[in-house]
Amino acid sequence: MQTAAAKKEPRLKLNKKRGDQLFSAALVLPTLLITTVFILVPVIDSVIKSFLDFRVRNIISGEPGQWNNFENYTRLFQGGKLLPAIGVTLAFVVGVVLAQFVLGMALALILNSNVKCARFIRSIMMMPWVVPTIISALIWMWIFQPQYGLLKYFVSVITGGAVNDFAILNNPDTALLGVAIAALWKQIPLTTLLLLSGLQNVPEDMLEAATIDGASRTKKFFAIVIPYMKSVISIVVSMAIIENFKQFPLIWTMTGGGPNGSTTTLAILSYREAFVSNNLGSGAAVTTIWMLLMIVVIFVYNRIFRKEDMD
Amino acid sequence: MKKQEFALSVVKYVILSIILLFLLFPLYWVLITSFKTNMEAYRSVPTFIPDAPTIESYIKLFTENNEFFVYYKNNFIVSGATALVTTVLAILAGYGLSRFHFKWNGWVMALLLSSQMFPVVSRMISLYDLMNKMHLINTHVGLIFALTAAMLPFTVMLMASFFDGVPRAVEEAAYVDGATRMQVLWRIVTPLVKPGMLAAAIYAFLMTWDDYLHAVTLIQDDSLRTMSAGVAMRYLGELSYDWSLINTISIVGTLPMLILFFFFQKYMVKGLVAGAVKG
Repeated sequence: MQTAAAKKEPRLKLNKKRGDQLFSAALVLPTLLITTVFILVPVIDSVIKSFLDFRVRNIISGEPGQWNNFENYTRLFQGGKLLPAIGVTLAFVVGVVLAQFVLGMALALILNSNVKCARFIRSIMMMPWVVPTIISALIWMWIFQPQYGLLKYFVSVITGGAVNDFAILNNPDTALLGVAIAALWKQIPLTTLLLLSGLQNVPEDMLEAATIDGASRTKKFFAIVIPYMKSVISIVVSMAIIENFKQFPLIWTMTGGGPNGSTTTLAILSYREAFVSNNLGSGAAVTTIWMLLMIVVIFVYNRIFRKEDMD
Repeated sequence: MKKQEFALSVVKYVILSIILLFLLFPLYWVLITSFKTNMEAYRSVPTFIPDAPTIESYIKLFTENNEFFVYYKNNFIVSGATALVTTVLAILAGYGLSRFHFKWNGWVMALLLSSQMFPVVSRMISLYDLMNKMHLINTHVGLIFALTAAMLPFTVMLMASFFDGVPRAVEEAAYVDGATRMQVLWRIVTPLVKPGMLAAAIYAFLMTWDDYLHAVTLIQDDSLRTMSAGVAMRYLGELSYDWSLINTISIVGTLPMLILFFFFQKYMVKGLVAGAVKG
């Protein structure tokens, strides 16, 4: 409100354009300042720290970190943890994003075709989205629980008692799948909602015209629906890529990165290095590689999307 | 042709039921487990409707494990404050970006969009150090600032897209009447974007309510912890979980969000679409 008074003065003296310029700068400034101080600076600072020997004791004593000749990076590559973590991250991202898109699209298409109670379903299906991440982890841990869990019971019923100890999160081969199921559960609702809003932009009369011309459902879907939804799809998929690249609390709560490193993504590895081993420099090196990888993935993704656009 | 239509609609409803079962059954399961005793919850053949429903674990949560409510209260404080600050800043910046087109707009947008991409852990590594230097570590104020920064990109985009929908003629009339720019913003334009404001506030509240990583690194004092961090630290021991209690916590922790969402659903849906598609 102070600015209101401060603005009155210059408005009389300055011309309109200059005034607008100052006003708009003043409006954007607080946001810019907070984003810079709490996001941009820390990110740049963490990239710098990735080249230093910087541990928790440096924070306590206030001693600056020492340049250590890329040791954080060489140690990571030689330690044999980095490459598996990259593999796990990519597998998780690709798997969850694909499954999420297919299921979300299926649900959106069904809700957009006149099913009964579509509005009601659209509203209740959003419920998993508002469940806090930690709680969704707990919900699925309870279902996956090795002794009393529901999944173990179902598996033992389906196999006729042959498999009596199915514990999805305790087996290195299936743990990532278990986490992915929980991630899907939380993310499908938003994907569906956004795709549904895209579907509503597809012109009705065009679909009708195609029906009259005798186009099949599949033909209509790929020739009319998909092209009209291109921008929404591109946004939904890139949001999903970013979200799953960053996924941390879910994996951390459900498996902590185990068993045997089978769910250790870059997020888990960097957190472990930085806040469990208290080696902030090494953690920063992981996040730097992680950011580079994410930039590459998003870049490739945009390239593919743009190329398809031109065809 | 008729037969084919029928078969298609059967397939449609089957797929719909499977997906809905996947999305909704886990919530039902948690809800009924919270009304079971541990004895019943641990039965080898699970009961799908509680045999002897009881509110024992709710009573236990209120009486024995009431540290939970300290975390719960802190979560309300932090989420509420973050939502408020975020919404005010998003109104200002959103209006600035939507109404005035200067050459820096592109840079501001780029900064906001890219800041959404950076992993939180990467920020935490130096934020821990930075907050320490600013004496904001272990305080709600520091946590609120960090979270506001995380919420701003999306909410600014959201507000900007709502302001885009307000015709300029409305403002020009007010300027002719001698209103200042600030008056135009607060008295004339902002009331027209109330749905956007609500959507931004609820989005920020929901997302902050969900925060774990910020709280777990920036807060060490148990009495200042927020819900996710507190629950993870206190109730998730390595071996023995009290599952009735955990399920009760899940219900109590989710309830405010469900109520908020269903109450403001109309605005939320519009806002989510506006914020995402603009960004």
